[in-house]
Amino acid sequence: MGILELHGLTKTFGGLTAVGDVDFNVEKDSITGLIGPNGAGKTTIFNLVTGVYKVTSGKIIFDGKDITNKEPYLIAESGITRTFQNIRLFKKLTVYENVLTACHYNANYSLLDSVLRTPKFRMQEKKLNEQAAELIAIMGLEDRKDLIANNLPYGLQRRLEIARALALMPKLLLLDEPAAGMNPDETEQLMKLISEIRKKFNLTILIIEHHMDLIMGVCENIMVLNFGCKLAEGTPKDVQNDKSVIEAYLGVEV
Amino acid sequence: MGNEYILGILTLAGINLMTVLGLSLLTGFTGLFSFGHAGFMAIGGYATALMTVKFHWPFIPALLAGGLAAALVSAALGKVTLNLKGDYFCIATLGFGEAIRLILDNVQTFGGARGWPGIPHYTNVWNVLGINIVAVIVLANLIRSRHGRNMIAVREEELASQIVGIDVFKYKMTSLVTSAAYAGIAGGLMGHYMTFLQPKMFSLAKSTELTIIVIFGGLGSISGSVLGALVLTSLPEILRAFSSWRLVFYGLAVIFIMISRPEGLMGGYELTPSSMKKLFRNMAAKRENKLQRAGGGK
Amino acid sequence: MTQFFQQLINGLSIGSVYALMAVGYSLVYSIMNFSNFAHGGVIMFGAYFGFFFLTFLRFPFPLAFISAAICSAILALIIERVAYKPLRERRAPFLYFIISAMGASIFMENLVIAIPAIGPTFRTYPEVFNKQPIKIGELAMGKLDIAMFLISAICLIILIYIIDHTKIGKAIQATSYNLKASALMGVNTDFILITVFLMGGFLAGIAGVLFGMKYTVYPQIGIITNKSFIAAVFGGLGSLPGAVIGSVLLGIIETFTAGYLSSQYRDLIAFVLLITVLVVRPMGLMGKVTEDKA
Repeated sequence: MGILELHGLTKTFGGLTAVGDVDFNVEKDSITGLIGPNGAGKTTIFNLVTGVYKVTSGKIIFDGKDITNKEPYLIAESGITRTFQNIRLFKKLTVYENVLTACHYNANYSLLDSVLRTPKFRMQEKKLNEQAAELIAIMGLEDRKDLIANNLPYGLQRRLEIARALALMPKLLLLDEPAAGMNPDETEQLMKLISEIRKKFNLTILIIEHHMDLIMGVCENIMVLNFGCKLAEGTPKDVQNDKSVIEAYLGVEV
Repeated sequence: MGNEYILGILTLAGINLMTVLGLSLLTGFTGLFSFGHAGFMAIGGYATALMTVKFHWPFIPALLAGGLAAALVSAALGKVTLNLKGDYFCIATLGFGEAIRLILDNVQTFGGARGWPGIPHYTNVWNVLGINIVAVIVLANLIRSRHGRNMIAVREEELASQIVGIDVFKYKMTSLVTSAAYAGIAGGLMGHYMTFLQPKMFSLAKSTELTIIVIFGGLGSISGSVLGALVLTSLPEILRAFSSWRLVFYGLAVIFIMISRPEGLMGGYELTPSSMKKLFRNMAAKRENKLQRAGGGK
Repeated sequence: MTQFFQQLINGLSIGSVYALMAVGYSLVYSIMNFSNFAHGGVIMFGAYFGFFFLTFLRFPFPLAFISAAICSAILALIIERVAYKPLRERRAPFLYFIISAMGASIFMENLVIAIPAIGPTFRTYPEVFNKQPIKIGELAMGKLDIAMFLISAICLIILIYIIDHTKIGKAIQATSYNLKASALMGVNTDFILITVFLMGGFLAGIAGVLFGMKYTVYPQIGIITNKSFIAAVFGGLGSLPGAVIGSVLLGIIETFTAGYLSSQYRDLIAFVLLITVLVVRPMGLMGKVTEDKA
């Protein structure tokens, strides 16, 4: 029984089946990969898990609880966060503000508290600011913390997005093509970062990627999707040697 | 031009500002556009007048009642419309504003289209000023908190804010209800300044004018809204000499602002003591640099 | 029973004029994804243009009619170039377009009031169709009403033909699906926009003249635009057949409300309809249900 279980997950858009009857388990504390050709349905699965899309049929169980079709913010509250393929940072806010905003969950003062500036408000605000500063330091963004997010170099924008996701202290982190557009050096750094944060934050991580070195280098278990259906599943070695995967995705041997 | 005249303009500007502050929260900070806020002013105006005229309530409690009435109606409206996509919400507010005006036009208990005269003249420049000061402080405190940050996040990237655990619907609703309450109180102030209420005071043109002020002042800036309200209320009064042409230029000015400086007067920045200090420091530093370079070039 | 049919005919007549207005709205919405609030101003100018050509230049009716429509088309294009094109170029969010449109609308309405020669007085069109109604059995149909219906119907049929069966029509359809992609596919999107605004403006001009003939000409005619706008939403923003159906239905609903309930509620029913549509089925009768792709 894994921390995330997909049972018969299906999503159709009109006549198109984006995800067809997928069963999958993500083991707790693992780094799992989700690969497949473009249009295979990988991001759709992320959207289904995080509640952005409604499920056509099937179930999603997280940490023993059924989260199918719950509101996205409730799913975030229960411990799943993600990054996006096309980086959805709060672009006009600073690095610091991006992370601080995401820390909101760790305070519970009311509207009235904010208006009246009660001691509860002051105390919790202080805590939130400490949290944000700490997270930014851990993620190595301290020297850029007052820069506008949009002005960060691409690689750091991705890192900021991860930092923001971590502010919610999630149990499961979904990374959607985190290495997109990165050169081999940056990809190496990212791989190191992913292993580090798994340890430091006690996370389970599920990654969608096309960069094979990253996936094979850092994942313990991989699921391969093709045309919305599960093609194969297993360790990197298993997947690399699976004939159907090789044909569909990795390239046929000449 | 006497003192009376200037005080009159300031009072009107203050009344407008009250609604504009609320609208600033909704549009400037949460990113929702409304073309129906005159409708909330109308509800507040008539409700406040009801309390003072029929039930002889003192002014401030009556104003609060007006604000509450507007807030309740907005909650109902929000429940059914806040889930709609961007433009549809806009359209719904437009329909709402017009519907309120039409209902008031046709319901005779409040005087219908002829209006409701004889409202006590309770509003003066002092209570308008006082109420606005409180309103600004409340707004500023709200913005500088996790609640305010969440609203800004909703404005910036709605999808990402969901993912970060923000209950987008709740915050949109909070924003809408607060802005309606502000508008309702403003309506009450208006009625007790003009000493009469007429549905046509709360037309689509008024709603549009309010949104234009918020944009003119700069979205996401409270000081921008204050300046915007002052400038855009007093200017037409001062230009009254040109009477029918002033609106023609107003229309052109709106187009011009949108195509040349849509970020408005303040461009999203705030006029606060700390930001002013920073500005002066930057200017001083720039001057120092220039002097240094001039000296070094010799 | 005749009362029923009488109301039905009245409803169809005003509905067909709403349709002309609503179609212009939907056309622009389908391509640019925003509600062109300046459309009302163009309709109003159409009414004034027609009045001017008929009364002062003493054009024969058909000529005055077409001239007014052409002038309105040009006006619509000018608005697009001045108030919208700069915004498109800086990729402004659609809400800025709405504000700019409002500005244009305020400008137009007050320009007419301010120009001494025109001013805020109501103007009446000279009688083009005499007031003798045509009687079919018990039903009396005003010649004007029949003309309104026929003219609108002909215009709409021509428009739908253009959209469905000509090259430019296909280009318009393509652009309405995806502005950027069509540009990449070699469609001259600027040209398409010009065409769409000219067409919408032309129809608005016709609608204005018809409206002016039926009622009177005054600067606030633009407000009537709210109705056609509601009709467009009702039928499905962006869908031309939807705009037509929505308008006709709205015209009929309004007329029945005025006839059987009270004319006071006629305007109100339109807004009640709007809120109902938005709550129950925001995409309207013919609009598509789409889910936002993340």
